[in-house]
Amino acid sequence: MPKITDSKLLSPDLMAQLERLELVTRKIFRGRLKGERRSKRKGQSVEFADFRNYVAGDDLRTLDWNLYARLDKLIIKLFLEEEDLHFYTLIDASGSMDFGTPTKLTYAKQLAASLGFVGLIRADRVCIETLGQGPHQRGPTLRGRRSVWRMLEHLDTIQAGEITNLAEGVRNFASRNSGRGIVILVSDLMDKEGYEPALRFLASQQMDTFVIHVLSQEELEPDVTGDLKLLDCEDGDEAEITVSVPLLSRYQETLNAFVGGAQQFCSQRGMNYLLANNQTPVGELISTYLRQRGLVR
Amino acid sequence: MIALAQVVDSLFRNTLAPWQWAIMAVIPPAIIALYFLKLKRNPLEVPSTYLWKKSIEDLHVNSLWQRMRKNILLLLQLLLLALIAWALLRPGWQGTQLAGQRFIFVIDNSASMQATDVPGAENRLAVAKQQATALIDQMDSGMTGMIISFANTPRVIQEFTDNRRLLKDRVETIEPTFAQTKLKGALELADGLANPGRITVQQEGIEVDVVEAQEATLFIFSDGRFEDVKGFSLGNLKPVYVPIGTHSADNLAITSFATRRNEARPEEQQAFVQITNFTNQPHEVVVELSLNGQFLDARGVEVDAGQTTGLVYPLADTSTGTLRASLSYELANEQKQDALPLDDHAYAALNDANPGRVLFVSPGNPALHSALATQRSGRLASFELKEPGFLDTDRYQQLAQTGEYGLVIFDQCVPRKMPRANTLFIGRIPPDRSWQEAQMGETDETAENEPQPSVTGRHVSVPTIIDWNRAHPLMAHVELGNVVIIDSTVITPPAGGDILIDSTAGPLAAIAPRDQFQDAVLGFELVGRNEQEETTINTNWPRMHSFPTFWFNAIEYLAGASGTEGTESVPPGKPVELKATGNPAQLTIQTPAGKKQTIRHSTHDVFLFHDTRQLGIYKVSDGNQVTQQFAVNLFDRNESDIRVTPSQDSTAGKLAADIHIGNVDIAAMTGITTSRKELWRPILIAALIVLLVEWYVYNRRVHL
Repeated sequence: MPKITDSKLLSPDLMAQLERLELVTRKIFRGRLKGERRSKRKGQSVEFADFRNYVAGDDLRTLDWNLYARLDKLIIKLFLEEEDLHFYTLIDASGSMDFGTPTKLTYAKQLAASLGFVGLIRADRVCIETLGQGPHQRGPTLRGRRSVWRMLEHLDTIQAGEITNLAEGVRNFASRNSGRGIVILVSDLMDKEGYEPALRFLASQQMDTFVIHVLSQEELEPDVTGDLKLLDCEDGDEAEITVSVPLLSRYQETLNAFVGGAQQFCSQRGMNYLLANNQTPVGELISTYLRQRGLVR
Repeated sequence: MIALAQVVDSLFRNTLAPWQWAIMAVIPPAIIALYFLKLKRNPLEVPSTYLWKKSIEDLHVNSLWQRMRKNILLLLQLLLLALIAWALLRPGWQGTQLAGQRFIFVIDNSASMQATDVPGAENRLAVAKQQATALIDQMDSGMTGMIISFANTPRVIQEFTDNRRLLKDRVETIEPTFAQTKLKGALELADGLANPGRITVQQEGIEVDVVEAQEATLFIFSDGRFEDVKGFSLGNLKPVYVPIGTHSADNLAITSFATRRNEARPEEQQAFVQITNFTNQPHEVVVELSLNGQFLDARGVEVDAGQTTGLVYPLADTSTGTLRASLSYELANEQKQDALPLDDHAYAALNDANPGRVLFVSPGNPALHSALATQRSGRLASFELKEPGFLDTDRYQQLAQTGEYGLVIFDQCVPRKMPRANTLFIGRIPPDRSWQEAQMGETDETAENEPQPSVTGRHVSVPTIIDWNRAHPLMAHVELGNVVIIDSTVITPPAGGDILIDSTAGPLAAIAPRDQFQDAVLGFELVGRNEQEETTINTNWPRMHSFPTFWFNAIEYLAGASGTEGTESVPPGKPVELKATGNPAQLTIQTPAGKKQTIRHSTHDVFLFHDTRQLGIYKVSDGNQVTQQFAVNLFDRNESDIRVTPSQDSTAGKLAADIHIGNVDIAAMTGITTSRKELWRPILIAALIVLLVEWYVYNRRVHL
């Protein structure tokens, strides 16, 4: 059995850094299993919540015998229930993600692994899926620290080149997972039909949604010269360009409009947006940017 | 239209053949076509063309105008091509097209050409070389050129060739000399080389040139500091005088430097320095004198503009060595010194006294013989006693004319011709013309005869000596108080002579210079002969103490044995005759630069040394011993006066005065020789810069 630390996705340093973190959600959701998370529900934990009168059927174990002795009334103690959290990571594994150094997909996987690791060690339910999965192809749901290596194994199976469009992938995901929790979409949002339908669909879910927009350095600051015939790796589309300063500045404007539009779209719909450059180390991205956005603490 | 064509012709020189231009013309359309055809676009796979498509939608990069405007690479390449084409046209201006087929460049490399009064060049010679090179550059193929340098002698630097590179290289080899300027030799050389085939053959009484004489243009690069050339016909040479230098060149020079005996104290040597001011202002100068490198004396004097001043330095008991005089002063110009430093130093050599050789020609004079036979006299000179008959022998003629003797004493006899030596005549008038004429003036009234080969002079009996020239070295310490003379001739010295002994009847002894020699005459015989051929006593002087003293003086002063003797200065480039005692097989001469040369003697026991090109002291040694020295100095007013003679013709801005060759006046070329200013080098450099910019733009995408 390979050790956890063997994986390229999670280095020991990164894991040590991540150990201290936990996933946060602004919404308190009901979990299915008892976890480490405070719930709206009262339950069994060590944390006192309230008193109430005993009614028939209550668990006698929760009676406060001291009060009964003093007041001669049956009063039971209520404790806060601690629950687990559903944490979904949705990775875009389309062909366009297979660019950059490291590739955007690798970066996405690393990010998913890191956040998944945080979730696993905090006893949250972690589920990593791709946009290319069909409506009934569920990904494994993992829980507990022991599942880290399984998560990594699963991540290894994800390969670039899935042919899908963004909106359909999100729709399939929503149909598979109707529950609540945190969902993180890791994608370059490069869809010729636009990212808006997909994000709109995601926003309609009752989930705490994060959109992590991964772009490679080559896309942010293209280093190209001369007369080129650009080939789209996904649909084979061609674009002939002659690189010039006006063209490059125009490209930057387009890129800024693209990124800015996505950010605005997300914030208007209560989603968190984060632009990630593939040159930014994952540890730094999580401990700095995602912490600022309130995904982890 | 024709004028325009001429202008275009003068601005451009075609370097390519029509078909080559045709190829050139095809290149720009080819470049543009390549740009529009875009034969090759590099494919590049990108994650998505999504953003690019959106970007290029606005830019319309495919439109013609956009492509032209944005594509600086194309413009740069076209510019590069245009520059190359322009360079190939060899644009230029001010080109004076050389007319003719043959050119002779005569370049003056005399001492005055070392003047540094020319701005932007080392000296005048450098300017001359530059201008000659500029003219050579203008030569077209098929034109031939020849280079001659001249100072006192001409030298063919390069014979006729059409190889411009060779000509230019050879021009650079011309070295400055210290010699004087003599143009005629160069002209004759040019004439001889330019028209080698001027052979005429007589055919039926008509002279026909076998080879048709070809015209040649003769460029004379000089500062014009030379005498007019007389007796030369230019013939087919078309002279062009290119004056080099400026009118305002300031120079002060030592124009003479010699050692000589002090007039008052003959035992003392004096150094005499002559300074000439060739500037337009008076200047304070200091002349330092050093002996064998040791400082001896320094004196200051003010020299007026254009004037010459002398300075005299006493040289106490200095016997041998080398004297050097250095002129120092400050001019008001930038360098604080004059434009020709080489004449600010002068050299003189002090040589060991050689024992003089004295010939004593007498029919018999025991008194004198014993007076000359003293030990002290023997140290000063070696004596030869001969009978008057010896004067007719060839041996005497040869010795006398080669200057072998320091002094010849003629007792009661007269040579037919004055020897090349100092002479002392006893009782006879020298046969020299000046003496004869002086006696004629004296005897005109008494003896009314026409000039005769030998004048006897006016005879007087028992003259009483009343005075003698005590200041003259001959008469030093000579006391003639009780001397009685029975019979004497009154001596009248020629102009420049001194009376030595004066009497109641007139001068009895005199001395006068003749060229570089001195002739002393005693009017009275010491011993004479009467008609019976018996020896008679004419004076009681031989019995006096003063008699041997006088003869000692005579030997010391006239036999050239009076201590140190300065030698004449030799002009640079002039051969020197060297005499050596002991008839050695060879002499070694050390030049001022330290180079040693060995010369073998030529005829008449005379050594000829030619290599006197450097200024300074030359040391002559026989074996290991330095036997004599001589100095080479410029001492030439024409060379030292480096101001270019301004033209009398004030119009047309003429720089220098005309020079005269034969009967032809050659006007100075107005302005400097304008050479064709070629632009192709800067254009090619610009093209290179464009190429670099293009490379940079291509690599760094710097778009303007």
